[in-house]
Amino acid sequence: MNNSKAEKPFSKVMKELTLRRKTALAMGGEEKVKRRQVEGNLNARERLEVLLDSGSFNELGLLAKSYREEVRHKSAADGKISGFGTISGRPVAIVSNDFTVLGASSSVINGKKMKHIKELATKHGMPVIYLGESSGARMPDRMGAPGRAILGQDPAEYLRTRETPWVSALLGDCYGSSTWYTCLSDFVTMRKGATMAVASSRVTSLAINQPIDSEELGGWRLHTSTTGLVDSALDSDQSALEEIKVFLSYLPSHNCEMPPVQPVPSDHIDLGHELIEVLPESRGSVYDVRDVITRIVDVNSLFELKKRFGKSILTGLARIDGKSTGIIASDPKSQGGAITVDAIRKATSFLVLCDSFNIPIVFLVDQPGFLIGIDGEKRCAPGRIMNWMNALSLCTVPRIAITMRKNYGQAYLNMGGGRMSDVQACWPMADLGFMDPKLGVNVLHQIKEEDDPERFSELVEEIEQDSSAWALANLYEAQVVLDPAETRSFLTNTLKILRNSKGAPIGEHRLSNWPTSY
Amino acid sequence: MAEIEVLSEVTGSVWKLFVQVGQKVKEDETLMILESMKMEIPLCAPEDGVIKRICAEEGAQISEGDLACVIVV
Repeated sequence: MNNSKAEKPFSKVMKELTLRRKTALAMGGEEKVKRRQVEGNLNARERLEVLLDSGSFNELGLLAKSYREEVRHKSAADGKISGFGTISGRPVAIVSNDFTVLGASSSVINGKKMKHIKELATKHGMPVIYLGESSGARMPDRMGAPGRAILGQDPAEYLRTRETPWVSALLGDCYGSSTWYTCLSDFVTMRKGATMAVASSRVTSLAINQPIDSEELGGWRLHTSTTGLVDSALDSDQSALEEIKVFLSYLPSHNCEMPPVQPVPSDHIDLGHELIEVLPESRGSVYDVRDVITRIVDVNSLFELKKRFGKSILTGLARIDGKSTGIIASDPKSQGGAITVDAIRKATSFLVLCDSFNIPIVFLVDQPGFLIGIDGEKRCAPGRIMNWMNALSLCTVPRIAITMRKNYGQAYLNMGGGRMSDVQACWPMADLGFMDPKLGVNVLHQIKEEDDPERFSELVEEIEQDSSAWALANLYEAQVVLDPAETRSFLTNTLKILRNSKGAPIGEHRLSNWPTSY
Repeated sequence: MAEIEVLSEVTGSVWKLFVQVGQKVKEDETLMILESMKMEIPLCAPEDGVIKRICAEEGAQISEGDLACVIVV
């Protein structure tokens, strides 16, 4: 037949494809999408546009829907948008929860989507990003015995082996899967106003018969300062998503490669000569350790994790000579640098991150010991201290410890002392003992300064001599005594040697199976 | 508007107060200096805000977890 008005082949089915795609891309419908816009929150697809390189999103499961007939018409992509894309040209796998579709509740089909994405990301070596906003388990899918039969069918659903980095952003109300995957992630950021909890404030309130404020139950203050489950909280979706890009720029795509190297910024100026002025001469005075770190690492490269949690230890990723380096530093500005239970948990989780992803660690130490007291003991301080030591003993990425000033007690080992590091260095003002020398005289000789100032001063000097950087260097416990100004070049040169490896990665990743959220 | 309780992070004494009720403070600004473990340790504002109440006095003892001041954010 020669009929120019004849329809193109398969036109009916092709029209249907167009229509089905359009319906799925409309998410939960115009009204719900509009409401989010009015509230000033991005929707699940807009978030992908902000996070991924333009035009790079490659969606899998656009036409997936609920397996239950009664909600199929309103289950676009079954509430969890998933696929692959790139960030700065590097591939990532992603799941973006679409709250406009059945509250992004967890179901049989979207569970299959997540499993598939995770498997592909692990097999092909790329990070997985979870953009959280979900209401929890979908009902009635998970009710009764049939619901139990759906749960737990994948024994690896909550298995965390850290073969590739996982990142989560909490961008709205997060219960159920968004909470669980957050707690399994290596880095978590959130938008202020979002919440994360086991169950919503409404459900929790009904369960315990008390009014519950959702901000109190799972707001950003709780998670950045008290639970430590969230690394940072930002004012908008956009800034939280930008935070993910920055974090991933320090990480390799998987544990069989080294982190990416960036050129040292052209505006970097070596400020090492200023370090001697940052450190107060008086042992009783404190300082902000950021003023030290920023004079050692590449300019503007310090990226702190869990800044509001366990503040007497700073953990952060930075670059030295363009290469990713993990920093664990005492921060005397907070609690004089005395190490709290929260700081212990923070340091341990950071060791796990670095060991899993081939990032060498630098300890910068100025600590008067663990913060001892009843509260710490109630919170299992001794167990946590040994947990940290166990993690450190398993750690196989290169480690360098530098004692800047005080380094007392058992915490000397936790902060990379002895053979807990590959190389140990000291600044000349280092003070390595069991405790502050004045307190040491009180304890050892039972003499107080006011009783006999002359004798007290002699004894303090005796203890100080014995605790000096020179004494440690004599014993070859400190392999180098550094002028602080030399710190950057010392780290650059030593890390160059320690990064040399017989294979591509620099560690054995013995901590990659370490539990999460400890 | 929310009220944030700023708690002492150490046990020691209050050496110096730097703020007054009604004063605006920025995140990380030093509110007071505490003496503890033979050190002068600053207690800083956790967020930007205005001082509503000060519960510490210069020279007084303070314990870890004690309320030092209240900030409205």
